[in-house]
Amino acid sequence: MSVSSSHSTKTDFPRRPGAAGNDEGGNPNHVTPLLELRSLDKRFIGTHALKEVDLSFNAGEIHAIVGENGAGKSTLIKILTGAYQRSSGDILWNGKSLSLSTPLQALDLGINAVHQEVVLCPHLSVAANMFLGIEQARFGFLRHRAMVREAQKILDSLGFDLPAAAMLNTLTIGQQQLVATARAASRGCRFLILDEPTAYLTRAETDQLFTLIRRLHGEGVTIVYISHRMEEIFELAERVSVLRDGRLIATRVVAETNPDELIRDMVARSIDEVHYKEQIAPGEPLLEVEGLSGPGFHDVSLTVRRGEIVGLYGLIGAGRSEFAQAVFGRRERTAGQMRMHGKPVNIRSVPDAIRAGVVLLPESRRDQGLCLNLDVRFNLALPSFRQLSAGGFVRRSEERRVAETQISDLNIATAGPGAQALTLSGGNQQKIVIGKWLNHGAELFIFDEPTVGVDVGTKVQIYQLFAELLRKGAGIIIISSYLPEVYDLADTLHVFRRGEIAATYSARAVDHETILGKAIGN
Amino acid sequence: MSESTIQDGTPSAATEKRQLQLGFLRSLTLLFLLVLIWVALSFATDSFFTAANISNLMRQGALWAIIAVGQTFVIVTGGIDLSVGAVVGLSSTVVAILLKADLPIWAAVFCTLAIGPAVGSFHAFGILRMGLPPFIMTLATLTGLRGLGLLLTNGLTITGMPPEFVDFSRETFLGLPTLFWMVVIVVVPAYLLLHHTIWGRYVYAVGSNAEAARLSGVSNARTIYLVYITSATCAAFAGILTASRIGVGVATTGEGWELQSIAAAVIGGASLFGAVGSIPGPLLGSILLTTISNGANLLNVNPFWQRIITGALIIVIVWLDQMRRSGRR
Repeated sequence: MSVSSSHSTKTDFPRRPGAAGNDEGGNPNHVTPLLELRSLDKRFIGTHALKEVDLSFNAGEIHAIVGENGAGKSTLIKILTGAYQRSSGDILWNGKSLSLSTPLQALDLGINAVHQEVVLCPHLSVAANMFLGIEQARFGFLRHRAMVREAQKILDSLGFDLPAAAMLNTLTIGQQQLVATARAASRGCRFLILDEPTAYLTRAETDQLFTLIRRLHGEGVTIVYISHRMEEIFELAERVSVLRDGRLIATRVVAETNPDELIRDMVARSIDEVHYKEQIAPGEPLLEVEGLSGPGFHDVSLTVRRGEIVGLYGLIGAGRSEFAQAVFGRRERTAGQMRMHGKPVNIRSVPDAIRAGVVLLPESRRDQGLCLNLDVRFNLALPSFRQLSAGGFVRRSEERRVAETQISDLNIATAGPGAQALTLSGGNQQKIVIGKWLNHGAELFIFDEPTVGVDVGTKVQIYQLFAELLRKGAGIIIISSYLPEVYDLADTLHVFRRGEIAATYSARAVDHETILGKAIGN
Repeated sequence: MSESTIQDGTPSAATEKRQLQLGFLRSLTLLFLLVLIWVALSFATDSFFTAANISNLMRQGALWAIIAVGQTFVIVTGGIDLSVGAVVGLSSTVVAILLKADLPIWAAVFCTLAIGPAVGSFHAFGILRMGLPPFIMTLATLTGLRGLGLLLTNGLTITGMPPEFVDFSRETFLGLPTLFWMVVIVVVPAYLLLHHTIWGRYVYAVGSNAEAARLSGVSNARTIYLVYITSATCAAFAGILTASRIGVGVATTGEGWELQSIAAAVIGGASLFGAVGSIPGPLLGSILLTTISNGANLLNVNPFWQRIITGALIIVIVWLDQMRRSGRR
């Protein structure tokens, strides 16, 4: 790999706090790159994860990185944080070549990352997590109270309403993410990588996070922001780089581009509309719920017809998930009736629900939907073993037939029915979770946050799957706290507030603000 | 994920074949190791490759194999059963007491076997209803059941079992020791259960991801009951056979066998993280362990060294197995 002097100007000193924001918006080439990648290449056995990536991060900029799952974003982060070693190419820090061979070296330079999954210790306090590895001690004994005090001071100064003495696992995932961000920000961070930071955050938490990001930006910290949410990129970032199949496709100035262009870069195929739904006329009622009450929700009535998507929108804790879980038999209910096909059903347990044709696809596919270390065939057949067996003995030919049918019907990209589920990409794992119920003959599908953490291309595939289900006469309930999604998909939208349906709208009858207002309670 | 990775039947069949071959290779290497040790011992000692010693080997290996098969069910669900040795001890004394009380053999065996479902249900109850980790639950019964056996016998050895019962384990059938046939009686249904029935599939599902299994309509509770009852019943059966083999009922019989059974299952390819393991595995594992101790005896190796060698071998075999596994990805 030849190392030639780059076209950009080089200075020996990075820009310090305060100076960074000034000359932004001009030609990015005239700003000092704090970190520069030249022909960065990473190969694993069997895959070529990054191909000759040339990318520069200017001092003090907010630089977004987008790309489908598997485009190489995680590999890039891992190289930048010293977790992986590059196969070839150069990394320059302030124009000087850098080995970046250990995570510690990255930390010493002030390179920090907040990962999508919180990598902290759930059984330690917030303060202990913030000081993990840099604990304060006197004569070898930890200074617990001093650390809690200091952590609280940091959290307060960042505007996070979080208790420093609380155990981390008593916080929501969103709050834990904020702790992780505060931890990175408090450690003399100069280069902060945020990987899908808002995936699990509520709106208020997202706002807190954005405030922090802007503040760090004002202090001259370079921020790499990875997200699938276009509106966040256009709200925050100055430049955006698109990765596809391990290659850098383009780096664009955010002010000069638009979501369509970025999506085209990402998927290399034009997508007319990301929120895609075919018009399918709803048919006869499939599920009718009347006056359902239980812990967390009361007196909820709704109907799902064949070919209809019913959206349940509400803030976290509004009762939409509790209600849906009660329909699926996972939570108790104290009153109310349910009818499937007009006939009363008494769902008291998950097997009851499945027998009635009601299934739930959990939010966390990896953790709740799949047997990851077992093969694709096993996962596709799991709910249907009864149908696939005779006298208790599983008929292997049936098992294989059913798996192969779903693999070809749903276009599941796998090395074969014998491949372990964990070798598949997120979107294909989602397809398995759906496919196993198609085998089983379920009719009412409850999706809990169906597109959390999936990329644009997979999202489209999932929406196409919805259309496929609807065409087959199924009914769908979508639970989401991401309004644009339910807004565009749902034929009927129920807004939950404090355990009750606060409002019901037909497709696109009102605007986002009205719906949000109902959910919040204005 | 690009469209180019979508493939159909042909390469899938190839992958499957490769995985099958790898699985086959693993049992083959264990088998190979076993044969290697056998050949070496045949040359090194005069007494190894004799009918008497091979029968002896089969008899001792049989008892470990039976409890290891039961243990494998538990391990595949991601659990562990530390009580099997204690159940062996308890059931060997119970069967001896019942036989001494002049119960017919079939009745005594039947009543003693009932210890299995009783203990297994108790384990499952503690794990499911009281939320105790399997390790703790079965650690408690390991101590408790051993105490129960000592209490029943007052620490004494129970003698005076009918000769037909004692002779059973010394007889042969079709030229092979009866104890070997007892292993067959356990292994064949166990193999069918784990690899060919719905229940077996659920055992793997629970071991891989209990939550996913539950959301797919699998009754985790029934699966947990099934595996702990299977394990304890195998142990009770092994206890009865042990009583027959040594001719007396001693409450301390089977001490440390829980670790032998876990070692046999793990050597046979089971993973303590669950969802990995198969029935031929523990069989090979227990034969290997028996061969090592038998061979060491014949070679006059210091018994203290035997333990050290066994420990080292467990580490090496499981390490090699994991290397092979990670190489597959």
